[in-house]
Amino acid sequence: MPSLLRQTEQDKKNTPHSLLPFLQSQSQNTLTRLYQRPSSCLSIFRLLAPLERQIVMNLLWLESAIAASTMAAWVQRDGRKLYEESLANLSYLHILPNSAAKLALNFTFKTSLRQALTGGGISGSFGVPAEKDDKQPGPDIEALDSFALERWETILHYMVSSGTGQNPTKPSQGVLFLLQRSELMNSFYGGPLQITSAGFQFLLHSPHAQLWDLLLQYLHLAEERQMDLVEVLGFLFMLSTMDLGREYSIENLSTTQKAMLEDLRDYGLIWQRRPNSRRFSPTRLGTTLTSSSPPLPTTTGVGSGPKEGFIVLETNYRVYAYTDNPLQTAVLNLFVSLKYRFPNLVVGMITRDSVKKALMNGITADQIISYLITHAHPQMRKNNPLLPVTVQDQIRLWELEKNRLKSSEGYLYTSFTSQADYELVLNYAKQLDVILWENTGKRCFFGSLEGHSRIKEFIERRTQNPNS
Amino acid sequence: MRAIKGVLLVCDPAVKQILLSMNEKQSFIIEDLDDHHLVIKADEEYRVRRELETELEKNTYSLD
Amino acid sequence: MDASSHLSVVLDLPPAQWHRAAHHGLPLSDFLSHVLVFLHAHIAANAENSLAVFGAFPGSSTLLYSSADPVPEHLPIHPNSYPPFAALDHAVNRRIHAHLDALDDSSADPSALIAAITKALCYVNRLSLSPAANTNPSAERDPSVLPDPRLLVLSVSPDLATSYIPIMNSVFSAQKLKVTIDVCQVFGPDTVFLQQAAHLTGGSYIHLERRDALLQYLIMAFLPSPAIRNVIAVPTQDKVDFRAACFCHKNIVDVGFVCSVCLSIFCQPVPVCSTCRTKFPIKTLQRLNQSRPPLPSTPNGPGATTPRSNPGTPRIGPGGTNGTAVARSVSTSATTAASGELPHSSTIGLGTPNGNGNVGRSLSMGTPVTNTSPNGTAR
Repeated sequence: MPSLLRQTEQDKKNTPHSLLPFLQSQSQNTLTRLYQRPSSCLSIFRLLAPLERQIVMNLLWLESAIAASTMAAWVQRDGRKLYEESLANLSYLHILPNSAAKLALNFTFKTSLRQALTGGGISGSFGVPAEKDDKQPGPDIEALDSFALERWETILHYMVSSGTGQNPTKPSQGVLFLLQRSELMNSFYGGPLQITSAGFQFLLHSPHAQLWDLLLQYLHLAEERQMDLVEVLGFLFMLSTMDLGREYSIENLSTTQKAMLEDLRDYGLIWQRRPNSRRFSPTRLGTTLTSSSPPLPTTTGVGSGPKEGFIVLETNYRVYAYTDNPLQTAVLNLFVSLKYRFPNLVVGMITRDSVKKALMNGITADQIISYLITHAHPQMRKNNPLLPVTVQDQIRLWELEKNRLKSSEGYLYTSFTSQADYELVLNYAKQLDVILWENTGKRCFFGSLEGHSRIKEFIERRTQNPNS
Repeated sequence: MRAIKGVLLVCDPAVKQILLSMNEKQSFIIEDLDDHHLVIKADEEYRVRRELETELEKNTYSLD
Repeated sequence: MDASSHLSVVLDLPPAQWHRAAHHGLPLSDFLSHVLVFLHAHIAANAENSLAVFGAFPGSSTLLYSSADPVPEHLPIHPNSYPPFAALDHAVNRRIHAHLDALDDSSADPSALIAAITKALCYVNRLSLSPAANTNPSAERDPSVLPDPRLLVLSVSPDLATSYIPIMNSVFSAQKLKVTIDVCQVFGPDTVFLQQAAHLTGGSYIHLERRDALLQYLIMAFLPSPAIRNVIAVPTQDKVDFRAACFCHKNIVDVGFVCSVCLSIFCQPVPVCSTCRTKFPIKTLQRLNQSRPPLPSTPNGPGATTPRSNPGTPRIGPGGTNGTAVARSVSTSATTAASGELPHSSTIGLGTPNGNGNVGRSLSMGTPVTNTSPNGTAR
């Protein structure tokens, strides 16, 4: 189904970044304080859609407000709707106050973004570099990469192997708490943590999406812990504009930000020699927060295997995965029944049972297929469509099979005395939009649970004064 | 006029036939609406789903 | 997140011309600071956006900055600026000054703008090839690897008639690479050839009117990628000067003569095409010479007065019109389009009599001639 596939890729491009709804939900005061930092403005600017970015840029260097009609005159007829949507999105973020007549950027945002682009100001929001220490040079990029990878895979590996009887390395308490809070893992009756269906879906996301999923949870948590969100967000955005492979000083960080260092170290976003070190280095996970490049150098383990894809899927449902990474093997094990394991190769089959197991865990067929597509071996890329159609279709069919029975609770309304009576009640129920099934011949219909009380009320009113 | 509380099941005709034969052993169907729709007792839904699952499972075969 | 895009920028930096520009209120330092902020805006939009800056100096051209360059280790980081911006500023300023200092003051060479444009196109070509070459050397260029590459030319030099052919060749390679060429004439008179280059590649051409607003011009017209230009229009020229330069004397001509085989342009009827060596029948030459408007300034080319026929090469054409033909519509302007309407690039081509985006084609389309291939068979 290539068309279907393209559709999902399209959607991915058009959906706004997952952080933006969170920002939109914040108060104007919070956002304005956030916009005082040039690095935050630059990062948020990056997260915007291309058209929104252009609108911001067009207005950025204007000293006074311009008439909305002047700006609208440049919009092509076909783009009207998109343009209006972009203006609305910008106003939710309080970047471009909503106004029918005049357009002008939020003053704070404008000043800060100008500073970010010209490199002026005194805010130090891009991080203060640490003095060079010749005795203890900072880690090189390779060391940072392997640190980030190790931290991140520890988290994922812990999730995927929970409940399998293995005992993988436990991530820190903070991470465990976050996993539980975000309902990616759950502890049943005080037992050990178990992965939930949301957790299974999480495993199949791209590392970038996973990272933001967790950070969003972290932000929610920070809100509850009464941490200053501006400080938290500002620090994340600062990380995203830092230079990989450099050491930064913690002197200029606020108390909140210093408290975050430990959490960020646990997630693998920053590296520190010792917990109480006066300096830190951002890792690739941190510096790519607002870009679309892969946040991890290679998820295929140390040294071996090609960088991107490693999965070969054949029409006979066989899966060959060129990997020696236990995490990837474990993720595959979610929906593949594994047969053989070699030093750099894992062979398995996609079977009805293995897919069914995945579906039971809450993973959808689309997620399985998109995982296979994103991790397909370069050799597979020659094929068009990329995955064998038979296998794709079969996985979807297995999913449909699970959904042969749909149920919904409600009330069956029947034995109406007259056709007129029936139609009267039916029309009322139609207005409420609660009808799940109707049959005029049998003079009965099925309404959902929510509508029952109002329908009942309506009928009672009718029987009390039938002439009204 | 009557209102009967229940669960509306939407299914394909094949599944419906299996449900009908299950109904003969232990009754749970309130109303047979048409080829695709049935109303059953609300508290029986979980049991019906489980039994249907085992019934359907009998009809699938795999190589291993 | 959305796809990244590539921008190549060519800066035209002849000292003499900039000296003149400084007297008109636009010193080079101001120009550079505006351009650098514009380039920052391009990098800021997406961390994966790539950028290459080329400089054209008198007699030489060079790559000033490429985002593929590693950030120099020794470069200090300022807490108030984004590291890639600092690296860009540093590289561009340092290399421009090094080049200007090395220049010989007495050098009267014109700016090597075309060389820089060509280098920029080669750079885009290399970018579009390298990832494909890793996995599959025979693979066609994958458009997803490098979506909508753009080339922005910031020119201050007047037209150079000798540069017509190289410019057109660059335009054709740009079309093939699907590169959009945007042109901003920052100072000096309009340039006919760059105007055509922008028009033919679907780009935008601006003659800077308010020099203090350079940055705003750059951002509104040249920052949006082609996808965005479909929603927010960019200013484009409503008049395009389509005149070409002849191949024989490099004059810009109003009426030219086009070789029906290779589409070379001549300012007068010639018996033998100097490019493809096709010989034209004497009758045609005589007829063309008679119908020619008087062109007193055109010098006579060698052999122009002694036309020879070549009976050995068979020619086929409807109505018996063979050989060179008058390209009547070489000079056109699209004044009918876009007057009072939204300025946008697609309206420009529509108003022209020829309606083609391609100069070579539009020249021959205006003539009732069937193209004959060099070996004599009709296409």
